[in-house]
Amino acid sequence: MAKRKSIIKIKPRKYKVGDIVKVDFIVIHPMETGMRKDKKTGKIKPMHYINEVKFYFNDELFTTILPWETVSTNPYFSINMKVTGPGVIKVAYKDNLGEVNEKSKKVKPKG
Amino acid sequence: MQRRSFLKGLGAIPVALGVGSLPILAKEKPKLKSKNAMPFKKALEIVTNGKGAKQSAKVKLIVPEIAENGAVVPVKVNVDEPIENVKSIHILTTKNSNARCADVFLSPRNGKAYFATRIKLGGTQEVVAVAVLKNGSAIMAKKPVKVTIGGCG
Repeated sequence: MAKRKSIIKIKPRKYKVGDIVKVDFIVIHPMETGMRKDKKTGKIKPMHYINEVKFYFNDELFTTILPWETVSTNPYFSINMKVTGPGVIKVAYKDNLGEVNEKSKKVKPKG
Repeated sequence: MQRRSFLKGLGAIPVALGVGSLPILAKEKPKLKSKNAMPFKKALEIVTNGKGAKQSAKVKLIVPEIAENGAVVPVKVNVDEPIENVKSIHILTTKNSNARCADVFLSPRNGKAYFATRIKLGGTQEVVAVAVLKNGSAIMAKKPVKVTIGGCG
C-alpha cells in the first residue's frame, strides 16, 4: 500500500484555549473520475477517489466528510474547530479502492 | 429524357447517403457515463429527504464568477446559524455528470459552520450549497460560475 503524503495545518499559528481555529487538510491523490482516457494507451483510466475523511480530536470524532470524484486532484478540505485544551488532531481517510491512511498533529494552545 | 433521369438519379445518391450515415456517426461516440452519475434534482432530493430547500441569505457561498480552469474551482461556505442548529453542509453542481461534490457532517466542536474545498466543473453551471438544520429543514444558496476550460470528464 502506497503511503500518501498529507498535510494538516492549523490557522492562525498562535491560538488560545477557547479560540476557533481553521484546520486545513491536504492529500496528494489523483482523484480519477473514471471518464478520462490515458493518452498513451487509449484506455479509460479507472475511477480512483477519496470517499471518506474523518477528523478526530483526542479520539473523539467531530467531523465526517464524504467527497465524490468531482473534488479536485490533490484535495483540500478546510473546517473550523474549537480548541478546548492541548491534544492531538487525527485525520483518517479512505479511498474507493480500499486504501486506508491517517495523519495526526499536536494541538498546543498558548495562554 | 435519358440525360434528365440520369441527373435526377445523381442528386438522389448523396441524399440517401447523408440520411444513412447520420445514425452511424452518432453511434460511434457513445457518451461516457460515470458509475456515480446522478442528476441534480435527484441529488437534492436525497440530501434534503425529499422536502426541498429554501433559498436563504444565511448561507454564504463564495465562488469565483469566472473560473479559467474548471479542474480547480475554490468553494467556500459559511452558514450564519449557531453550530448546534446545523447538521450538515452539502455542495452540489447543476450540470456535472455526478451532481454531488462533498457531504460534510458537523458537530458542536466545530464552533462555526464553515467548509472550504476545491471542486471540478465540467462547464459553465451553477454551484449550490445546501445546509441541513437540526429540525430537518434545509436552506441553500446558488451562484453561477463561468468556466472557460472544462475539467470534469
